[in-house]
This record gives sequence, C-alpha cells and structure tokens, in this order.
Amino acid sequence: MSHWLRSYGLLLGWTALRSRATLPLNLIIQTFLAVGIIVGFAYLVPEMDDATALYLATGAPVLGLITVGMVIGPQEVASSKQEGIFDFNRSLPVPRSALIASDATVALLTALPGMVAALVVAGLRFDLTLHISPLVLPAVLLTAFTAIGLGYGIGYGLAPAAARMMSQLVVFVALMFSPITFPASRLPDWFESVHRVLPFQYMAEAVRDTLNRPPEGVAALPFAVLAVWSLIGFLITYRMTARRP
Amino acid sequence: MVEDLLIIEDLVKCYRGGTRANDGVSLQVEAGEVVGLLGHNGAGKTTLINQVAGLAVPTSGTIRVDGCDPVAEPARVRRMVAVMPQAHAPLAGVTPRQAIRTMARIRGMNKHDSRARTDELIGALDLGAWADTTGERLSGGVRRLTAFGMAASSPGRVVMLDEPTNDVDPVRRRLLWEQIRELADRGCAVLLVTHNVAEAERSVDRIVVMGSGKVLAEGTAAQLRSRTVGEFRLELTAPSADGIPPLPGHIPAAGPPLRAVRRLAIPLDSQAASAALAWGQQLRAAGVVDEFALVPVGLEDVYLQLAGGETAPDAEKGEHGESLAA
Repeated sequence: MSHWLRSYGLLLGWTALRSRATLPLNLIIQTFLAVGIIVGFAYLVPEMDDATALYLATGAPVLGLITVGMVIGPQEVASSKQEGIFDFNRSLPVPRSALIASDATVALLTALPGMVAALVVAGLRFDLTLHISPLVLPAVLLTAFTAIGLGYGIGYGLAPAAARMMSQLVVFVALMFSPITFPASRLPDWFESVHRVLPFQYMAEAVRDTLNRPPEGVAALPFAVLAVWSLIGFLITYRMTARRP
Repeated sequence: MVEDLLIIEDLVKCYRGGTRANDGVSLQVEAGEVVGLLGHNGAGKTTLINQVAGLAVPTSGTIRVDGCDPVAEPARVRRMVAVMPQAHAPLAGVTPRQAIRTMARIRGMNKHDSRARTDELIGALDLGAWADTTGERLSGGVRRLTAFGMAASSPGRVVMLDEPTNDVDPVRRRLLWEQIRELADRGCAVLLVTHNVAEAERSVDRIVVMGSGKVLAEGTAAQLRSRTVGEFRLELTAPSADGIPPLPGHIPAAGPPLRAVRRLAIPLDSQAASAALAWGQQLRAAGVVDEFALVPVGLEDVYLQLAGGETAPDAEKGEHGESLAA
C-alpha cells in the first residue's frame, strides 16, 4: 500500500507538471462553454421560467464535466498513445491503478474550476434561489468520475482515430440530444428509453437534485447508475493499461 | 564468475496476422556488459525490448531478468528494468531537471539522492544550459539526452536503450557513451539498440545482429569482422559502377564485389593491396574512376553482408553469392 501511495503521489506531481502547459487553455474553454450554454441556450427558449432556468443553470456544469472527461479525455489518451507516452507510462515501475488514479485526479482538478465558473455565470444570469444538499459533493464527484472513467474507456478501448470521432459524437449527443438542459419528457418515447440506460440523464439529475433539493428528497437511482457506468469506464481503462499484447 | 542478468532463450513472438517479430531469439547480457543490438527497421528489436520489460508476452520461449520471469511477475520486473524508449519521452511542460529527478523518485530513490543523481547526470551529459527549460523548447538531441537521464537516474539491474544517440551532437554523444559505460561499471546489464554501426563497433562489448526476427550473428566487433572475406576493400567511385572494368587477373579478389549505383567495393587480402592501389591510380589517371580508396574492413561491411540480404537500406547488395548469415 505504501508503494501505491508513494507512486500515486509522485505520478500526481509528474502529471500535474505536464498538464500545466494546457491547463490555462482548458480553463478558458470550459468557462466559455459554460457561458455559451447559459447565455446561448437561453436564446432558444422564448420564455425563461424558473424551471427552464434551473435546467440551464445546473446542466451547464454537468456539460462542463462531460467535456473535460469524455471529450478532452479521450483526445488526450489518443495523442498519448500515438506519441508513445502511453507505452512510456506503462514501462514505469508503478502499479497500473496508481497511474490511472493520478491521471483521473488531475482531470478532476482540471474540471472543477470550469464547473464553478458555470455556477457563477448561472447565478449572475438567472435570479435563482437554490436549496443545496450536502449530497452535492458526491453527486459532482460521481458525475466527474463517470465522465472521466468513460472518457478513458473510449480513449484506451478504441483506436486513436475512432476515439477522436467517438468523443465528437459524445459532445454532440450530450449537448443537443440529452435531457441535461431540458426535461426527458420532451424527448420521443424511444429516445427517452435510450436515455434510461445512458449516463447523461443521471449525471444531470444527480447534480440538479443536489443543487436544488426537490421536496421529495434526492433519489438514489442516479447515484447507483453513475457508479456502475464509472466502474465500467475504469475497468476498461485498467484492462487496456495492464494488457500485454 | 560474472552472472548473466538478462537471459533470453528461444524467444518467439507472433502477432495476430502471423507476423513472427521474434523467431527463436537467444541472447544473454552479463552484469557490467554493454551489448549492442543491430538490425534493420522491423528486425524485431523493439518487440524484444517490450517483452523483456513485461509490456508484451512472448508466444513461446523464456526470459529471465536477474532470475525473475517478466511473464509471471511483470510488476516486479518493471522495478528491475529501466527502458529508454525509441519515442520521445513526455517532456511537454517539464524541464530536464524535473523529469530526471521525478523518474529517480518514481524508481525508488529518496529526495536527497534523486537530487544528487540528477545534478550528476546533468553535469555529465553537459545539459546545464537547458536543465531548466521546458520540453517543448528543447532540441531533439537534448530531449534524447534527457530521456537517457530519465532511464539512467536509478537504473535497476537491466537497462535497455532504444537508439539512445539519435539526434545527439558529436560532443555530447561521447559523453553519452561514457555514461552508458558508467551504467555497466555500476553492475548493470545494458542492452542497446542502434543503427549506428561505427559507434557500436567502438563502444559496445558485444554485438548481436538481428534480421527478420532472428539472431544472424553475435560476438565482439573483432569476432564479427573475422567472419567477412578479405582484410581490405578497394572502393572505386565512378559516374556509373557499370563503367568500371573488372579486376585484372594478377590481383586476386578475396570475395565477390559489392556494387552500388556509383560505387564498386572489392574485398582483398593484404598481399593484393599494393597491386590494387596501383590499378586504382591507373584508372583515375585514365579518368575511368573519380576516386578510389583502400580501406580496412569494418563492422559495417560485415553488417551489410549479414543483414543486407533482406531489405537493404540502399543499393549495397548485389552480386555476392553466398551470405555469411547462412
């Protein structure tokens, strides 16, 4: 265990050093994305009522997490595979799980400022009174780790070119066709059923219901589904990292 | 008795699709020894390294790193082996000092020792001027040297270097070779892949020539040189090699000539040397050849004879019948 923790700590420092170069750009993009969703999506809606405002305000940070985890994540993994960084990392005398954990930690730390920015912008744009539940912390962490885990799963599980295309598809589906910034009831029945399996709706629900607690309380289902998806993502990642062709 | 730290026996690696990247490779590297692995691109050298490092599993055969099996205990072997990969090390945003020190720490050194070792390597490789410059602003050579420093920081028992001297300037190349020797002197077994035959001839203890996944020849530079025909080579350069007349009857060739586009190289024994020189002078005086030279046979000649038969890098292969590789 001490070897694991020592490796994790050192890898964390190493990954953080290497991410410094791209961090500012990452933060700028995330902030613009948040502003874009909150300000831009509002143009699509003729009348802004409280319910719509809540969907946009709580959906924007979720989309930020999805962007960092499932779009930037697979693209970075694809590049690291093509540049030989993946093989280099695999040759290091550290546990594979410590390698993945340190990468995921840095991705999480990268995603959080954008998420906060989204909430700040939402607060400025809409006149919302939120009833925040303490469960917001696990909700955000679980959403972030689901996005990061699945992003890595895409990146490691697919060939680089396929991973890049898949990440484009994810952002497209998440942004336009997922019940994140609007209620699922607006979708056709078949699409609503698809979203009962996909993680997007549950990410949005977990974050929305913990940022503004509904009278009936926070549902457990989204947390359970997200835990399963996140596990699947990290298991694929672990398998591909430990794989010896 | 010196121990073999790295033992590879009858190693076979088949990829899906049937490519045999390694086809019955056997080799040993002792503690304190530097072994050079020569071979064309695609000869199976990097595949071999990946299997020793526990990143790929052999189809059959055995590997032992200081008695430890990388197939059964990959995590343990990764701690005993340091690899400098052929690809550039991930240095974007990181300085050589940070990279070498972090790798020393990841490989198990404490803070104080890692700092001392980093300073030592930066000094020895003359990297001081760039030690605190981030990777994206470093030249290819400095990046290579940093990657070497990362592997050599706390090298373990077996060090594998994949083309360590590429892009490195001639002065630092010497420093790099000194440090490679220093690793061996510390008791490491060093296996290094190179395409630079002349460098390998000067700097390694033993050479293994690979081709098509097999070991074609193995030995010291002198042993390998003795496999070739003749002690000298008469090189004639002309506008076209076809215009060069055949060797006169009174000069005995030691083997078949090697023909390139503008060059003919004829192997000779030492007693034929003076007659060959005189013939070369005649040809030049007559304007048949532009240049001629009588040079001692080097490892490159052996290498071309051994490996040149498959995907020769240039037009050096030609009429020579029997191959020494057989």
